[in-house]
Amino acid sequence: MKKTFLMILASALFMHTAQAQAAVDAQKAETFVVQVTENGITDIINANISQAEKDKRFAKLFNNALDLDFIGQFVLGRYWRTATPQQRTDFIDAYRALNIKTWSQRFDEFKGKEFIFKGTTPSKSANQIFVNSVVPMEQGEPAKVVWRVKQTGDKFKIVDIIIENVSLAITARNEYTAYIKNNPGGIDALIKDLQRKSK
Amino acid sequence: MQKKVLFVCMLSFMMLTTASCTTSRSAITDAHDQTDTFEGYNRAMFKFNYEFDKYILKPLAEGYRDITTPYIRRRVSTAIANLKEPLYATNNLLQGEFKNSGISIFRFAINSTLGLVGMYDVAEGWGFPRKQAGFDSTLAKWCVKDGPYIILPIFGPSTPRAAVSMALDSAFNPLYWATYNDANVHDKVMYSYAIVSGVATRESVMDVWNDLESNSVDFYAAMRSAYLQNRGQNGCYNNNQENTQAAYDFDFGLEDEDEIYNEMENK
Repeated sequence: MKKTFLMILASALFMHTAQAQAAVDAQKAETFVVQVTENGITDIINANISQAEKDKRFAKLFNNALDLDFIGQFVLGRYWRTATPQQRTDFIDAYRALNIKTWSQRFDEFKGKEFIFKGTTPSKSANQIFVNSVVPMEQGEPAKVVWRVKQTGDKFKIVDIIIENVSLAITARNEYTAYIKNNPGGIDALIKDLQRKSK
Repeated sequence: MQKKVLFVCMLSFMMLTTASCTTSRSAITDAHDQTDTFEGYNRAMFKFNYEFDKYILKPLAEGYRDITTPYIRRRVSTAIANLKEPLYATNNLLQGEFKNSGISIFRFAINSTLGLVGMYDVAEGWGFPRKQAGFDSTLAKWCVKDGPYIILPIFGPSTPRAAVSMALDSAFNPLYWATYNDANVHDKVMYSYAIVSGVATRESVMDVWNDLESNSVDFYAAMRSAYLQNRGQNGCYNNNQENTQAAYDFDFGLEDEDEIYNEMENK
C-alpha cells in the first residue's frame, strides 16, 4: 500500500516536471526571438522607408511575434472571467492598438543598439521558456531583457517581455486591475480609456 | 543638513520595525499583488509630487536638456556616478564582495585623477566596469524586509528600507565629508549637489517617464508596479537560488491565475 502510494507520488512528480520541461524546444525558442529582433532591426529600424511603412511593418511583426490574445487574458486577471465576450474582444483590440502605438514610437530608440542573447532559462508554466538577452548601453551596465516565449505545436509566440526585472504583462495587469477596482465604470471605462490613449 | 539626515533615518527605522511586524508577505508577492497599505496617503502624495515635478523638476530637466549636448550630460552623470564609488566600495565590502570593493576603490582613485574629477570613466576602458552596490542591496542581502510601499515627498516611490538606504547612501558622498568642517560651504555644496543630481537624473529618465505616463490609464498604479518589480531583484543571501524568474513563475501560477491559465490552455 505504502509502496503504491509512493509510486503514484513519484510518477506524479515526474510527470509534472516532464510536462513543464520537455514541452519547449529551447534552441528553437531562442532562434525564434533572435529572428524577431533581427527582423525588427533590419526591416524596420534600419530600413530606408517612410514612417507610415515602418508603422505598418511594425504592426505586422508585432502581431506575428506576440500572442496578444494570451497576454490580454493574463493582463485582465480575475476580471477576464466576469467579462462578456464582447468586452473581451474589445479589450484585446484596444490593448493591441495601444501596444502597437507605444512600441512603434519607442522602436527608434533602438537605433544603433543590438541584442546579445544569453541562452534560456526553464519556466514552471506549461509550454513556456525564458530567452535571456542583454542590450549594451552607452553608459554603465547593459540592460537585461528577458523574453517569455510560449510554444504551441511547432509555433512560437512571445507572451511577455521583462526589461530590467519589470514585466510588461505584470505592470499592465497591476495597472488595469487597479483601474477597474477604483473606477465605477469598470471594464467598459477601461476599454474606452485605452481606445482614447491609442488614438 | 546633518540633523535632517538623522531625522529621516530615525523615522524610517521606526517605520521599518513596525513594517517588519505587520507585513508577512514576501516582497515578490507584493510586486504581483500590489499590497499598498497606505494607498490613500500614497495617491495624495503622488499627486503632490506630480505637480511639483510638472512645475519645477521637469522644466529644470528640460532646460538642462536644452542647454547641454548628450556629450556634456554624459560627463556630468559620469562625474556624479564617480562620487558614489566610496559608497559602492563600502557596500561591496559589507556584502562580502571583496574583489568588487577593491575595484570600486581603484575606480575612484583612477577616475578622480586621470578621469578628470570623474568626468571620464578611464577605469572602464581598462576593463574595470562599475560595480554598483548601495545600502539597499546590502540590507536586502542581510534579509531586511522591504516594508510597505511609500511615496516620499519630492523623492517619490520608496519603501522604509529604500528610504533608510537613501539616507545612509548620501552620508557616503565624499563631498559630504570634504566640506564637513565649514558649515556654510557644506550646506551650499550639499544642496547644489542634490539639485544637480536630481535634475540630471530626471533628465535621464525623461523619455521612459513620458512613455509610461502617456500610455497609462492609472499612472500611479503603473509606476508602483514597475518600482516594486524592479526592487524584487535584490534577494536575501540565504535565498540565492530563488532567482526572480522562478519567483515570477510562481506568481504566474498563483491561485486563480492557475485556473485562468488552464482555461486558456484548454480552449
